[in-house]
Amino acid sequence: MIYFIIRRLVLTVFLLILVSLITFAIFFLVPRLAGQTTYQLAAQYVGRNPIPSEIKAVEVKLGLNAPLYLQYGRYLKGIVAGTHYNNGTDVSYCPFPCFGYSFRNDQPVWPQLISDAPVTLSIAVGAAVLWVIGGVSIGVLSALRRGTFFDRFSMGVALAGVSLPVFFTGLIALELFSYKWSLFPNVHYVGITTNPLLWARNLILPWITLAFLYAALYARLTRAGMLETMGEDYIRTARAKGLPERQVVVKHGLRAALTPIVTIFGLDLGLLLGGAILTETTFSMPGLGQFTILAIQNQDLPEIEGVVMIASFFIVIANMIVDILYAVVDPRVRF
Amino acid sequence: MAPLLELRDLRIHFQTDDGLVRAVDGISFSLERGRTLGIVGESGSGKSVTSMGIMGLHAGTKARISGEILLDGENLVAASAARVRELRGSKMAMIFQDPLSAMHPYYTVGNQIIEAYRIHNDVSKKVARKHAIDMLGRVGIPQPAVRVDDYPHQFSGGMRQRAMIAMSLSCDPELLIADEPTTALDVTVQAQILDLISDLQSEFGSAVIVITHDLGVVAELADDILVMYAGRAAEYGSAPDIFNRPGHPYTWGLLGSMPRLDRDRTARLIPIPGTPPSLIMVPSGCPFHPRCAYTGLTHGRCDTEVPPLREVAALGHEAACHLTAEDRVRLWAALSAGDIPAEAREISETDTEAAAAPAGSAESDQPVTHDGVEA
Amino acid sequence: MKRRSTFALTAVGAIAALLISACSSSGSSSASGGSSSSGSSASTTGFNAGITSVVNPSTKTGGTLTYDVRGTPDSFDPGNTYYAWVLDFDHLFAQPLFGYKSCPGSCGLQIVPDLATDMGTTSDNGLTWTFHIQSGVKFENGTVVTAQDVKYAIERTYDRSVLANGPTYYQAILTDPTYPGPYKDRAKNLMGLTAIQTPNATTLVFHLQAPFPDLPDVLAFPSSAPVLPSADTGTNYQLHPLSTGPYKFKSYTLNKQLVMVPNTEWNAADDPNAKQLASQIIVNLNVNQADLDNRLIAGDADIDAYGAGVGPAAQAKILSNPTLKADADNPINGFARFVYISTKVAPLNNLHCREAVEYAANKTTMQTAWGGPIAGGQIASTIMPPNIVGYKSFDYYTALSKPNGNVTAAKAQLAACGQPNGFSTAMAYRSDNPQETAEATALQASLSAVGIKLTLKGFPSGPYYTNFAGDPAYVHSHDIGLAGGGWGADWPDGYGFLDELLNGNAIASTGNTNISEINDPVINKLFTQSNTATGAARTAIWSQIDQQAMKDAVILPSVYQKVLLYRNPAVTNAYVQAYYGMYNYAVMGVNS
Repeated sequence: MIYFIIRRLVLTVFLLILVSLITFAIFFLVPRLAGQTTYQLAAQYVGRNPIPSEIKAVEVKLGLNAPLYLQYGRYLKGIVAGTHYNNGTDVSYCPFPCFGYSFRNDQPVWPQLISDAPVTLSIAVGAAVLWVIGGVSIGVLSALRRGTFFDRFSMGVALAGVSLPVFFTGLIALELFSYKWSLFPNVHYVGITTNPLLWARNLILPWITLAFLYAALYARLTRAGMLETMGEDYIRTARAKGLPERQVVVKHGLRAALTPIVTIFGLDLGLLLGGAILTETTFSMPGLGQFTILAIQNQDLPEIEGVVMIASFFIVIANMIVDILYAVVDPRVRF
Repeated sequence: MAPLLELRDLRIHFQTDDGLVRAVDGISFSLERGRTLGIVGESGSGKSVTSMGIMGLHAGTKARISGEILLDGENLVAASAARVRELRGSKMAMIFQDPLSAMHPYYTVGNQIIEAYRIHNDVSKKVARKHAIDMLGRVGIPQPAVRVDDYPHQFSGGMRQRAMIAMSLSCDPELLIADEPTTALDVTVQAQILDLISDLQSEFGSAVIVITHDLGVVAELADDILVMYAGRAAEYGSAPDIFNRPGHPYTWGLLGSMPRLDRDRTARLIPIPGTPPSLIMVPSGCPFHPRCAYTGLTHGRCDTEVPPLREVAALGHEAACHLTAEDRVRLWAALSAGDIPAEAREISETDTEAAAAPAGSAESDQPVTHDGVEA
Repeated sequence: MKRRSTFALTAVGAIAALLISACSSSGSSSASGGSSSSGSSASTTGFNAGITSVVNPSTKTGGTLTYDVRGTPDSFDPGNTYYAWVLDFDHLFAQPLFGYKSCPGSCGLQIVPDLATDMGTTSDNGLTWTFHIQSGVKFENGTVVTAQDVKYAIERTYDRSVLANGPTYYQAILTDPTYPGPYKDRAKNLMGLTAIQTPNATTLVFHLQAPFPDLPDVLAFPSSAPVLPSADTGTNYQLHPLSTGPYKFKSYTLNKQLVMVPNTEWNAADDPNAKQLASQIIVNLNVNQADLDNRLIAGDADIDAYGAGVGPAAQAKILSNPTLKADADNPINGFARFVYISTKVAPLNNLHCREAVEYAANKTTMQTAWGGPIAGGQIASTIMPPNIVGYKSFDYYTALSKPNGNVTAAKAQLAACGQPNGFSTAMAYRSDNPQETAEATALQASLSAVGIKLTLKGFPSGPYYTNFAGDPAYVHSHDIGLAGGGWGADWPDGYGFLDELLNGNAIASTGNTNISEINDPVINKLFTQSNTATGAARTAIWSQIDQQAMKDAVILPSVYQKVLLYRNPAVTNAYVQAYYGMYNYAVMGVNS
């Protein structure tokens, strides 16, 4: 098991390097196809009426005039060993891990990522708890009461949940619960350390919106899994032993049905941690998702790279955890 | 002493979209403690449904059960589901055909045995674990203290079946139902398992029902045999009776279609022509009549009258057939000598030759009617 | 001003705007400096009350004032910003040499001294200006503001590799344009800008390359607000500029939230254009527009600081609800929307082909594209909007008399330019701007009625002026005869509005603002004259340039933009500051 983890971690590092390389390449090569030069790119950070020497100065400041491999090399070095940055009046040192300085506002990227991450984490984890509990229990009940009104109704609602986009559900939720009925007025992010009650209260709407979508998916998945499991032979054996039906369903049925759910959950959560873009934008929550949008709109390479790396990291780690979990949960899949 | 288990006219029907499935249609037998009943029949004859019915495992399904199942005098059909659940696993237990799929893959064998034990006995985990190790030892698994923490997939086929037997016997049930216990096993292992069941039966004093389509297994274990066809009893009697003096054409067919060591190797096996009937549209009269070679001897009663299961004096046991006792003795004598009776010959020859040479004899499509030809 | 559509200059609402304001304008003639007066005693509540009067006038202190903004500022460093709302907002913590008088209506177009004591004196035929600053004004840390601090503030904007965003007028107007800024080789260059001298702690002497009567307007940008050299942290200064205004930074989380508290070192007597009322100011950044509008209406936020008005959904809500409508204002914001017509891309290099475009365009559908008469704007027939000093109304192409297009006249012009069946050309526009996209589509439809086929080419806003429409080489090689655009002046007189649009010497190879590439000697000469003219004569020049440019048909005016602003009824002293076209953020308080 230990070797497995070590192997995976090494692979993770390689994967992150690869991801950063690809992002780097896309950032520079794609605009080049549209005919944009780095000179023109630099011109976007110069303000108005720039004269050529000003644009060139910005090009030098952002390091855009160096060949691509050199720029990339500097970037990697920065992550590992930190870089120096000329602020004007002095030179500041940005320690490991330094994801560079934003093109737009000359501020280091890493602290911004760090301060945005808790927001995304709050949204993702909170919603995850809700959707797992809600989705799985509804799925189990639907499977056990297959064909009844409850089953049809909940699967119908699940279809709605899966089909309605987050920004639609979110806007409806805001309109009703925040603006109209003022149950959750003034929804904005408050740090958990600042005011835990307010933190939770303001997050309820985003949690429910996001959870609605995923719970629907998980309900359907759980239902399918349960239907399959409950038809297995070992269920019959469990009943033959005289176990109460609740124990048969939960300990024998659900346990087996949950295996694929657990793995999918890991992947979903990993993806979400990289930035719940739609939810954050709908509720104006300053997390990694909003950061991503800003970075792309501003064509701000260091910020884009930073957020891509963090998102990739979460996804890769989630994959690894899921693989390990699978082996833990299913003893047949062990090394 | 009253029998441990007694079935009276048990019927289990399932209402489906295609019609009413009469899976079990009037089964009666009784079983004493310490004795073994073998239930034989083809797939779809209703043997497993019967055993599941005894265990009460049809609860919650669309099964309609009528008749009586008396376990130690208590009618399980009329009892509450909770009561039956109480008895399941403790007074009556079941082992299944494929132990790999019948045991939960995620829990250790010990865990599953402990679970079974603790449901019916209020003991600590430690005590239950000790008991589980004990049981594993008794069923002949070496190093039981180590193996108790292994998962089902870590056992070989035979060991796995032993573990399942340990699991079902952990509460010391008085009735053990073994549903095709050796079908999934190698031949050599089969013998071991059968021996084990037999030993444990004498040790625990339990009654055993063995359900199988394999007559060899039945011959080994059973004291009594019930032959089922299309949800009904075809023949019921002691094992020696059934093997030596079978009184039903279906049983003749079963016995005749078995390869035997004491027959010529090149002699042709005689299969029973046709396939088991649909349980929704059971043939009228005797359910076996479409496949029976001897319907001609009953003057047309076979397809109109349902033959009751009744004692045949000359045979010493019960059979459900319209043939006279004399006919049966005669026909069986011919069959067991290796000859094919006249009635069967045409059918069997036509059938087999028709299969081999479609352009064959002119008699192939004629129903067989004979007037008292006696060989 | 132009570009990034983030600018809004404004002018006053309807009636007062159409009359040329008697209030003076540019130039060296001194207007009354000193104290601002709050607006007239017109009704202080109701729809559009904020355009001509102060809504909820009050001196009550306390409470928290909450601003929500879409997007993020380019920078809170007063020397590094060009966004309209930030220029307005900076007055809360930065006091420049000059400013616009804090009062509603056309009164607010006056340039008045702020940190300066008076409008300054010129000598040397206008090549030298001398200003004095008030003594006793302090930074938030108690240090007294000196003239050197003002010089330093201006100096630091010269280094574009550190502060790249602000206006570049100083380099263009003052002597010593090659000064590298005080960051490189600091020992040598600190205070090294020879164009500005500081003979003593309260005097500044500016040396110009050529006479420039609008120097005080340039000095009304926050970049002239003093910066203490020892407190300058370069690119990090935006995180906490040392305040000379009524408020100071308490905490600023980049791109997320700014919290300000009263600056105890601020003295109301030194800064009559600002007020210190609320006990806390919160600015929430990067709020999405739909959410923002709803929060405003629900009362969870007080003001949308961006100042471009509410979105379409909220517009409908506000206009149909009398209670909400009473809290809204619909000013002309000083931004003109139009379409550039190239003078270089064939066949538009022929005047008559350009005139055909002017006649054929359906102004009504273009107005609808911008949002209709209330949220879009007024149909325009001139380049300058009505609130710019020097505006005169004229209509050469029947834009007002035939707003649905004049097909007959258009066809006549097409015949005259040798294209009787029309011609084809491309139109550039910003595809992430939904109104501009709708305008392009509307124009395409109306021009096709006379046979002019437009191929629409959308571009993202970011590089629109640097790489596409504002790059003459790209324009020529891609046959872009028309380009969508808008303009708001850097200061509210004709110079500020027209120079970069129409002056022949404003044509640049990237970031070009004279996108029509007009180089008309008549216009160029008028601009030169304006540098030495004064008073009414100077004011008259602006309209002459406007009319000449329209005769040259280099711009197809679309609308004088209007915005629907919403103010929370709890806000005090709310009124539209004419120049910015949005509420005056420096004077507002809140009834808690």
